[in-house]
Amino acid sequence: MEKLYRNTAPEFKTVDSIEILGDTKYTLSNDIQVHVINGGSQEVLKIEFIFDAGIWYQNSPLVASMANSMLNEGTNKYNAAEIAEKFDFYGAYIGFSAAKHDASVCLYTLNKHLSETLEITENLIKGSIFPQKEFETILLNKKQRFQIEHQKTNVLAKDEFSSLIYGKQHPYSNIFDESEFDKLDINTVKEFYKTHYIPDNCKIIIAGKVDQSVIDKLEELFGKKAWPKKDNLIDAKHEIQSSEENKSFVCKDDAVQACIRIGRPIFNKTHKDYTTLHLFNLILGGYFGSRLMQNIREDKGYTYGINSIIISHLKGGHFVIVTEVGSDVCKAAIDEIYKEIKRLREELVSDEELNLVKNYISGEMLRNLDSPFALSESLKGNLPFGLDNSYYQNFIKELKTVDAEKIKTLANTYFQEEDLKLVICGPDNCRKSI
Amino acid sequence: MIEFDKFTLENGLRVIVHRDETTPMAAVNLLYNIGSKDENPERTGFAHLFEHLMFGGSVNIPNYDEPLQLVGGDNNAWTSNDVTNYYLTVPKDNLETAFWLESDRMLSLAFSEKSLEVQRNVVIEEFKQRYFNQPYGDVWLHLRPLAYKKHPYQWSTIGKSIEQIETVELNEVKEFFFKHYAPNNAILVVSGNVKTENVKHLAEKWFGPIEHREIAERNLPEEPEQTEFRTLHLERNVPFDAIYMAFHMGKRTDNEFYSTDLVSDVLSNGQSSRIFQKLIKERNLFSSIDAYLTGDFEPGLFLVTGKLSEGVSFEEAEAAIWEELNKIATEKVTDYELQKVKNKIESSLVFSEISYLNKAMNLATHELLGDANDINTEVEKYRKVSIDDILDTSTKLFRKENCSVLYYHAKK
Repeated sequence: MEKLYRNTAPEFKTVDSIEILGDTKYTLSNDIQVHVINGGSQEVLKIEFIFDAGIWYQNSPLVASMANSMLNEGTNKYNAAEIAEKFDFYGAYIGFSAAKHDASVCLYTLNKHLSETLEITENLIKGSIFPQKEFETILLNKKQRFQIEHQKTNVLAKDEFSSLIYGKQHPYSNIFDESEFDKLDINTVKEFYKTHYIPDNCKIIIAGKVDQSVIDKLEELFGKKAWPKKDNLIDAKHEIQSSEENKSFVCKDDAVQACIRIGRPIFNKTHKDYTTLHLFNLILGGYFGSRLMQNIREDKGYTYGINSIIISHLKGGHFVIVTEVGSDVCKAAIDEIYKEIKRLREELVSDEELNLVKNYISGEMLRNLDSPFALSESLKGNLPFGLDNSYYQNFIKELKTVDAEKIKTLANTYFQEEDLKLVICGPDNCRKSI
Repeated sequence: MIEFDKFTLENGLRVIVHRDETTPMAAVNLLYNIGSKDENPERTGFAHLFEHLMFGGSVNIPNYDEPLQLVGGDNNAWTSNDVTNYYLTVPKDNLETAFWLESDRMLSLAFSEKSLEVQRNVVIEEFKQRYFNQPYGDVWLHLRPLAYKKHPYQWSTIGKSIEQIETVELNEVKEFFFKHYAPNNAILVVSGNVKTENVKHLAEKWFGPIEHREIAERNLPEEPEQTEFRTLHLERNVPFDAIYMAFHMGKRTDNEFYSTDLVSDVLSNGQSSRIFQKLIKERNLFSSIDAYLTGDFEPGLFLVTGKLSEGVSFEEAEAAIWEELNKIATEKVTDYELQKVKNKIESSLVFSEISYLNKAMNLATHELLGDANDINTEVEKYRKVSIDDILDTSTKLFRKENCSVLYYHAKK
């Protein structure tokens, strides 16, 4: 029997590079770009149709999201119940989402039912008719969800924080009043659909077991078949207007915890210092071993969890620390958060910690980019920036060049206490912690 | 078809290996046959608190997370009423680190006073965050004791109350560990880009030397058959009324589990399902509604839960639900409708087999319930369900005296 050394870690290998299953590009006959990620062991497909039809492009609240949701609610061929019936019968799943810039329709289907499910998908993208009754039901249910969500301290804190970062009117905040649900006009939504769900505005990502027949089917339905182009696309312009205020308290009297958000506007992932920022974020609050998690959860027991996140929008971004803590330790938790940021400004990160974090990120990339479906998700995020998934390989190379000095410089450039905005949402006794 | 190898170490640890070459990763999933149902009624929430303590350092390794992160690994765990499950993923070349870490905490823990003190607080904050600081968050804390009078499913994994967690002491933690954590009370599944031969070597090397431990036979009180309709009214600061209906059903390994699952699918799986179409889209009685099973190992619950639309009364809402339940309990479903829900099951099984980690968890659960290979025969069991089975199952389930209803009132 081998002698066991239980107090010594086994040898390990670091991940120096990752292999990434790349995408193949096709262009349909009407110029729609198709990105194909072919792989996996199952006979399944994920086909996502992505349009520049997100919140950025709407003139009033809820329009982009309702236009997107209504695609499932009736077409010139089928009513909503028939659409649902068909997808369910083929064991397919259709998802809808309206984000900041893009809005998408995503089909998950078994290869063997592609023909049927793709035909319905085509019909709802091109031939939706927005029935009044369905519109009212969807809108009402969205309103109820909105009201329930706005009972949560983390949602209230998020809205207030966004308005400090981007301004109340900016699409990245996407803040609006409950009364907007009652004001929304179906014709505005229908018009938005007609001008935004068009071929000039569309790209497609397919992942899974993709062979020529899949491409052919796509060309038949979305390339050759009638789908009129519009040539007068208008891009919207929105200026970020960060608030002069750096602190805000939102009172929620029946809350048993306080939700804390601390952060600032920051550059997006095309910036030269982004890799350094990514490391800074990870060390501070980006994984379970982070300083904030270790200090505020694992040492003090103030919270169930604390995280920091970088949000990279196409035209801006922000950095934020998020946690929910017992209201009696609200002030103490905030002090510890500032203390941890100060440490990053004043002290160099040790080689040991830096090394661990670099290994951890590499492992995380390997883990997150291991399946065609996951890769299609990342590709969707990268394409608007003019990047593809080879971005991650460059990232790993770049990672090696970041040292403790760079992180300290970044901390001093961007993370002085006066740069940071603070929002607390909780019971009144937390007001004094601001 | 999920292929796997299976072997048992001398100390009783069952090991399952599933190779999936499409990933550069490996997953290690360790399932312990201990859940909140095994707790002392005065010490509920203990199994879950204990799960937190499993990260507080083991006998030879002071910190669990750091060495794992150093090799690019990540981990988590969850506790249910039936089991406690620990899982991690690592780049395939670093599989041994996973064995080193998991075997040491099966061998023994550090049992640190500090870790207990901190994790008690963390769990209390978790309790507040998930159960008290969310609209409708405390539903299960009330619904369980309404439906169960004897069986330990009457409490949630988080525990009955914060007070029971506050007073836990270190000697109880030690006792719990040696009573329930043992190679012969666990199932180890390794999946991903791995070879059985190598896994066997590592399992014998790291887990082999851990001693077999005496595990007392489980002897849980049985839940007597419910004979009266039960109701409970709560009033909270939420925007809308909500209704929660719970019916007693069989256990996970019963043959009837499959027809029961399909009954829930006919009612509410997908937008074409009955209650979605009828109660949300046609009649606008609910803003959301769902029918589902708890899927517990022991006799569990079939639930119908919904948020009422503004202006709809409880009477109207409940009557509409009963109408749908009575319909499925008295009229046969069509061939087409049954075929549709079976197609959905098959499809979701194909999709669930994409993830190597998911497969590891499912293999472990099936092995604990009887045989890992059941993962491959489930589809057949669903296929066999007939129109009459759906009718029989529904008739048995949807009786008033088998039902507990929680009316969650919005404070006006």
